[in-house]
Amino acid sequence: MTTEYILIVDNLWKSYGDKVAVKGVGFRVRKGEIFGLIGPNGAGKTTTLRIIATLIKPDKGAVWVKGVDAIKDPISARKHIGYLPEDAEVYPRLTGFEHLLFYARLRSPDNPEKAIEFGKKISGLGKRLFDRTSEYSKGMKRRLLIALALLSKPDLAILDEPTSGLDVYASVRVRKMIREYVTSTGSAMVISSHNMLEVEYLCDRVAFINKGVVVAEGSPRELVEKYSAENLEEAFVKAVAGR
Amino acid sequence: MVGRSFKILLWKELVDLSRDKKTIATSILLPLIIFPMLGLLSLALLVQQEVTIAVVDQDQSTYTNSILNITVSSRDLVDLLVKVLHDSGYNVFIANSTDVLEDPSVDLVVLIPRGFTENASSTLSKARVTVYKRAAVQASSRAEGLVYAIVDSFGQRISIMKINALARLAGVNVTAEAILNPVGTRTILVNIQGQQVGVEAELKSTLARILVLALSAVITPAASFMIDGIIGERERKTIEMLISLPLPVSRIIYAKLVAATMLGLLTAIADALGFLAYMVLTVSALGGQLGIILDYNLLLLHSIVAFFTILVTISIALPFITRTRGIRSASNIASIIAIIGTLIFFTGFIVDYTRLPVDIKTLFYLIPYTHSVLAIQYYVMGYPIESITHIGVLIVLSTILLVVSTKLINTEKLLIAPRT
Repeated sequence: MTTEYILIVDNLWKSYGDKVAVKGVGFRVRKGEIFGLIGPNGAGKTTTLRIIATLIKPDKGAVWVKGVDAIKDPISARKHIGYLPEDAEVYPRLTGFEHLLFYARLRSPDNPEKAIEFGKKISGLGKRLFDRTSEYSKGMKRRLLIALALLSKPDLAILDEPTSGLDVYASVRVRKMIREYVTSTGSAMVISSHNMLEVEYLCDRVAFINKGVVVAEGSPRELVEKYSAENLEEAFVKAVAGR
Repeated sequence: MVGRSFKILLWKELVDLSRDKKTIATSILLPLIIFPMLGLLSLALLVQQEVTIAVVDQDQSTYTNSILNITVSSRDLVDLLVKVLHDSGYNVFIANSTDVLEDPSVDLVVLIPRGFTENASSTLSKARVTVYKRAAVQASSRAEGLVYAIVDSFGQRISIMKINALARLAGVNVTAEAILNPVGTRTILVNIQGQQVGVEAELKSTLARILVLALSAVITPAASFMIDGIIGERERKTIEMLISLPLPVSRIIYAKLVAATMLGLLTAIADALGFLAYMVLTVSALGGQLGIILDYNLLLLHSIVAFFTILVTISIALPFITRTRGIRSASNIASIIAIIGTLIFFTGFIVDYTRLPVDIKTLFYLIPYTHSVLAIQYYVMGYPIESITHIGVLIVLSTILLVVSTKLINTEKLLIAPRT
C-alpha cells in the first residue's frame, strides 16, 4: 500500500497551545515528483514539513516515508529524508568543504566520499568550498545548504522555501539546481513556497494550504483550469476565497 | 556506528571550538595571563608605594645602670630603626617632635619617649616605644609590623644583657635563652599511620585548597559553551538541520557535552596554574615564601574531578536550558547552578569538609559538588579509598543526571522557543 508513493501524509493535526496550526492535512508524493506546498506565511507549511521531517510530532495523523512509519520510527525515516529548513544557516567558522564532510559522513556513512563528490558538484562552489562560510554570500550559503540536504541522494527531499531571501540570479541558479537534481536522481521532493512563479516552474503537483487546511490539490495547469484563472497566483486567491 | 557518528559529531564541535578565538581567549588564555599578572602587579606596586616614617628621639640619652653595669643608648635604637626600615624600602627620617604628624605625607611616627634608656636598663620598670599610625593607610600596616619586630629585637638584646649581668652578680651559671624562653614548642608532622612526614605533606594541602577553589571557575565557561551549543545553535538557525540527521538527539547533545566538558577541563587546568602563579608571586611580594609541591597524582585527580563536576553541572542545567526562550534566560539558570557550586568550592577552600559532623556532611552529600571537594581533600589527607569512593559517587551521579536529562530533551522545544 505504501510502496507506490515515496511520501504519504494522512490527516495531520498539530496545535501549539490554543492555536491549531495544521488541520487534517494530507497528500501523497510519487518517486521523481516535485510536490509544492503553497500558502501564505502562517498557513501551516513549515509545521507540516517539520512533521514530515520527524522533527515535531503531530497530535494526530500519519506520515509514511518509503514505507516507514515516520511517527513511530523517526530515525529510520530520516535515513530516507534530506531536509532544508526555511531560514537555515551554516556554521561560520567551518569551511564549505568541512560542512560537506560532516554531513556526508553522517548521512552516507557507508560511502561518504561519493556523497562529498556529489555535494561538491551540486553546490557548484568550486574552490570557494575551502573558504570559511563566514566569507560566503547569502546565495552561496543557500547553495551549500541545499547541497547538504541532497548530498546523500535521499528518496525524499524536503526544501522549505529554498529561494527565500535570494536575489533573482541566485534564485534562478537554485531552481535550476533543484530541477537537475530531481531529473538525475529520480528522488521525490516536497518544497514549500509562496512564490507562484517558482512553483509553476518547479512543481509537478501542488497543494494550496491556508490556515492549516489544504484547500486544493493538483498540477499547476489543473488548478489554473479548475479555478478559471490566468495563472497559479489567481487560482490560489480564488481557492482561498472560495472556502 | 554509534562510536563513529559520535566521533564525527565531536569532531565538528571541536573544530568549531578551536576556531572560536573569543571563547579560547576568555576561558583558557585569560586565567593563564590574568592571575600571574595580578601577582606581578601586586609585587610591582607594593615596591613602588611610598611609606614615609619619622623617628622621634625625645630621650636622646645613653644610660648606664650602675648595678648591672649595662648601658642602653636611644641612638642605637634610632640607628637600627633607620637602617632596617631604609633597607626595606621605606622613606625614613629623624624628626624633632611628633608635630611632624601634621604633615599628611608622614604615615608612621616612631616615638622614643623621655626616660626610655633609664627604664630600658632598669630591673624595675619597663620602657615603651609609641607608634603613631595614620589610620586607613593600608601600606603603613606593613611598616608598623616591621617597627614592632625591630623594637622586639632591640628589647631582646637588652634582656640578654640584663640576664647575664644578674647571673654574674648572683654567681649563677645561666643561659640567657633558658631564662627568656624556658618553654618551647615544636610540631612534628605525621601521616594517618602516625609516621613522620616532611613539610611537603603540609604544602600539598595548599595546592589542594587552590585546586578546590579553581573548580568554581570551570563551571561557568563550560555551561556557557553548552548554552551556546544548544540555544545559540537555535538562535543562529543551525540546529534544525543538525537534528534532522538520522541520529538520536541525545547523541548530538552528548557530543556537545563532551566538547563543553573538555573546554571546562582546560579552563580548570589554566585556572589552577594561573592561580598558583598568582599565589607564589603575591606571597613573594609580601616577603614570604610559598612552597608548592607539584603532585602529579593530585593534578590528575583534579582533572578527573573537574571533568565530572562540569558534567554534573551541565546535566543539571540541560533540561532547563533546552526549555528556555533564549541565551539570556539559559545563562540565568546556569548562573544559579554555578552560584551553588561556587559556595561549596569557596567553603572547601577554607573549611575541611572531611572534619564536618556526620549529620552536616550527610546533608551536604545531596549536593554533588560536595563529592568533588571531598575527593580532593580525602586524597591529600592520605585516604585514597575515601577519595576514590567520592569520585565514584560523582561519576554515578553525573551519569544518572546525564541519562535523565537527555531523556527529558524535547526536540520540539529545542526547535521552537517557548512563547512568553
